Amino acid sequence: MQNRPAIVAVGRTKFGEHYGKEPEKLIEEAWLTASRQCNLERRDLEACYISDCFLPITNKLGLEEGFLSELTELHVPMETTRSVSAALLTACHAIEAGAYNTVLVGGIEKMTDRWDKIRDDLMLLEDPWSYYAGGTPEANHELMLRAYTNKYGITGENLDKLNVALAQVSVKNHANATKNEHAHFQRKITIDQVLNARKAARKQLGLYDFAPISDGASALILTNEAIAKKMTDKPVYILGCSSATDYLNFTARDDLTHFTATKIAAKNAFQATLKAPVDMQVVEVYDQSTVMEMVSLEDLGFCEPGTAWKNINESCPEEKGYYEINGNRVFVNTNGGLKADGNPLGATGGAEIFEIFKQLRGEAGERQTNFGQGSPRHGCALELEGFGTKAYVTILGRE
Amino acid sequence: MSSEPIERRVSYLGDRLKSSRCRICGKEYFEVRDYCGNCGRKSYGKMDSVDLFYEKGKLELCTLVTEPTNKFMKLENYVYGIISFHNGKIRVPGRLTDQIVKDGETVDFSSLEGREVVPRFRRRYSVGRSEVVPTISLAFTLADEYYPHQDYTVVKPSKEYDVPGIVGYSFYTSRFRIREGRLERSVPFVDEDSVTAAVEAGKLALIHSGIDSALVGKIYVGSESNPYAVKPIASKVAQVLKLGEEDGDIQGVDAVDTEFACKAASSMFKDAASLVNYSKSGVKYAMVIGADNSQAAPRGCPGGELDTFVGYGGSAFIFGKQDVLAEIEGWYSCTSDTPDFWRRDGEPFPMHGGRFTGDPAYFKHVRKAATKLMERLNLQACDVDYFVTHQPNPQFPVKIASELGFREEQYAVSLQINKFGNTYSGCSPVGLASILDIAKPEQRILMVSYGSGAGSDAYLLRTTSQVADKRQRQKINVKYQAENPFVEYVDYTTYRRLKLGM
Repeated sequence: MQNRPAIVAVGRTKFGEHYGKEPEKLIEEAWLTASRQCNLERRDLEACYISDCFLPITNKLGLEEGFLSELTELHVPMETTRSVSAALLTACHAIEAGAYNTVLVGGIEKMTDRWDKIRDDLMLLEDPWSYYAGGTPEANHELMLRAYTNKYGITGENLDKLNVALAQVSVKNHANATKNEHAHFQRKITIDQVLNARKAARKQLGLYDFAPISDGASALILTNEAIAKKMTDKPVYILGCSSATDYLNFTARDDLTHFTATKIAAKNAFQATLKAPVDMQVVEVYDQSTVMEMVSLEDLGFCEPGTAWKNINESCPEEKGYYEINGNRVFVNTNGGLKADGNPLGATGGAEIFEIFKQLRGEAGERQTNFGQGSPRHGCALELEGFGTKAYVTILGRE
Repeated sequence: MSSEPIERRVSYLGDRLKSSRCRICGKEYFEVRDYCGNCGRKSYGKMDSVDLFYEKGKLELCTLVTEPTNKFMKLENYVYGIISFHNGKIRVPGRLTDQIVKDGETVDFSSLEGREVVPRFRRRYSVGRSEVVPTISLAFTLADEYYPHQDYTVVKPSKEYDVPGIVGYSFYTSRFRIREGRLERSVPFVDEDSVTAAVEAGKLALIHSGIDSALVGKIYVGSESNPYAVKPIASKVAQVLKLGEEDGDIQGVDAVDTEFACKAASSMFKDAASLVNYSKSGVKYAMVIGADNSQAAPRGCPGGELDTFVGYGGSAFIFGKQDVLAEIEGWYSCTSDTPDFWRRDGEPFPMHGGRFTGDPAYFKHVRKAATKLMERLNLQACDVDYFVTHQPNPQFPVKIASELGFREEQYAVSLQINKFGNTYSGCSPVGLASILDIAKPEQRILMVSYGSGAGSDAYLLRTTSQVADKRQRQKINVKYQAENPFVEYVDYTTYRRLKLGM
């Protein structure tokens, strides 16, 4: 394809609490890292796609494009989305259409600036009736898990195994994050810590099952194939990206055990690229909770519905860092996932793409995965908005 | 800040739980929809509205919320989940209410999932003192516990009476009590207040009477604990219970709140009866509700003595001329300007006149109204089967009843102060309800209310055969709530927390 979109450089800040930094400082840092990598000047940008979920609420910034224009002193077209994946999807369409050659895709979030109210704000991503009825950002994850175990008849010993498998997801992600200097949490945790937190919470999921609230920014520089090859030896191509949408109201959805939007987006993305899940060696899933990582493995097509917990449970004890599914290895959330890398909503997807980019180029340092013939060839990223209301699947490759 | 139009729309749908069903494919939706997603344009105008207010649902899935979002903090820990109606055709989010889950206490979700639940009208969450009070019925209680599910069936009236009277009544109080010595008093759950009690009482009275709510032409709500200084409880009751002819989102009913301390409701019995007796009014039925979350300062503070006796609850009476269960044979009211108990505007708790609340206030007015009415109707104490009066504490009603010549068996059944506390506007009405629950046809009841400020209304009622006929329609009667095995007793600290509410 003539105008195949390619990423030439990526940048991000550390995720976590940036008490002393304004949002502009964060996006600046992410942009500078990325642009330095490919020796790009801001005047070379023909358009900017920036994402954030809550800046209007957390920082009273209602027209983010203008804020970015002032920061970059650029007057090019700019658009705001809610997630980096959404920004990337739109940017890819523009590159493919030949509208622009070089664009910035960025994301930013400053959630800790509204620490005392952010959990209420998060309910904006769900339907108002759930909020009015007393729902919390965590409740749907727990209900989905109960629906899942009910549907697949997971009880007794199997239920214990599933519970441990979910704890293993968290332990694995924390272990991965110790090798990621940008991660929100850079410490190992144990299965017991996860289980004890659940006991304290008096339910199936506890503190260590959920991603934190973080600040952070990420930036990607996107060009077409021809330009990419001039700018870098190792461009990473967007082989396919797809999105799908589901009801805001979780309770009204037909399927309470899986994310229909993910299933559709994944099917379309794989179909468009003529690839299958089995071709993916590194995967970033949107683990706002350990349940989401488990269910997403099924939704993306890596595991049969109702079985991911077994694959996780069987893969994890040796701390190999990958899941073994039908004899294939797949590395999931090598950066630590949302659980340990952090989850500044508007920037999170950028960190996922950042990770796949680094892994495919063999630049992931200590956490680099190896497949005999070198770095992985293909990877994919799943990003959600809300509780599975929107799903974006992006497939990346070295060729 | 709350948004007035959003509040109006949310409470319009959520208080009553309105939903819609496609006439073509049968698909159901929570919320009102103009068309069905399956059938598209051809379903436009073919959506039937479905009312979930009197339905029972099923708790499908649940979890425990231990860290609620900010506005729900006062609910502390609660069970939240998914509730389905009509065999899963509609699913809604909801929380279980009327449950105190203590810190550290575990909940067995699988013992809750699959059980039937009843939607309950409650406060939604906390807001600032100057804001609109948000309400919702996405709060549910287990149907096999304190509050069973009851169908609301409209029954065609069979007999027209010459004299107006009571055609249906109810008493509602919450599941919670505080027990001190021999005295039990009801306490609202944290999401209950005088408005929710009024709606519950009205709902139970409609179920008991079997009348069509559209035929109620007037609703009076007497209360002294309305969360608003300006804005009636009666309008909420009218909207939630669909009183009067429904036309779009407006009800063809006259609604008004009344205030006269503890006689705010009983005072309106004669007005309601007169209104339905006036043929040109066009009012077939009039509803009177007395509901209070009786206010009292904490013990040890000025006015805190009241906290020993105050309760929570509401009582509703529907007046009409068809299928009357107790006719009103006469009444007498008296009033004097006596400041024995008062609450200044903006003050959270009332004050009282100490020893001046007895002789120059309560006894004087109750005695006057009772003797005057008995004189007028040429009755002796022995001509009356039951006597009920206002019950501000356990001693006063007994003292005045004996003074008036009533024997214990004539008034004992009406003494509800020991079970529910003084429910202020609902107080003498709940006494009346407890008598009607057991009265035989053709019995005479003398009711004398008392309201500080001060005044009394005396009524003479005579039961008809309908009093027994209608009894089986009401499971949730006074005795049921007094002796319910699911009543939960709380300590004084919890009592104060619940009473102050959200």
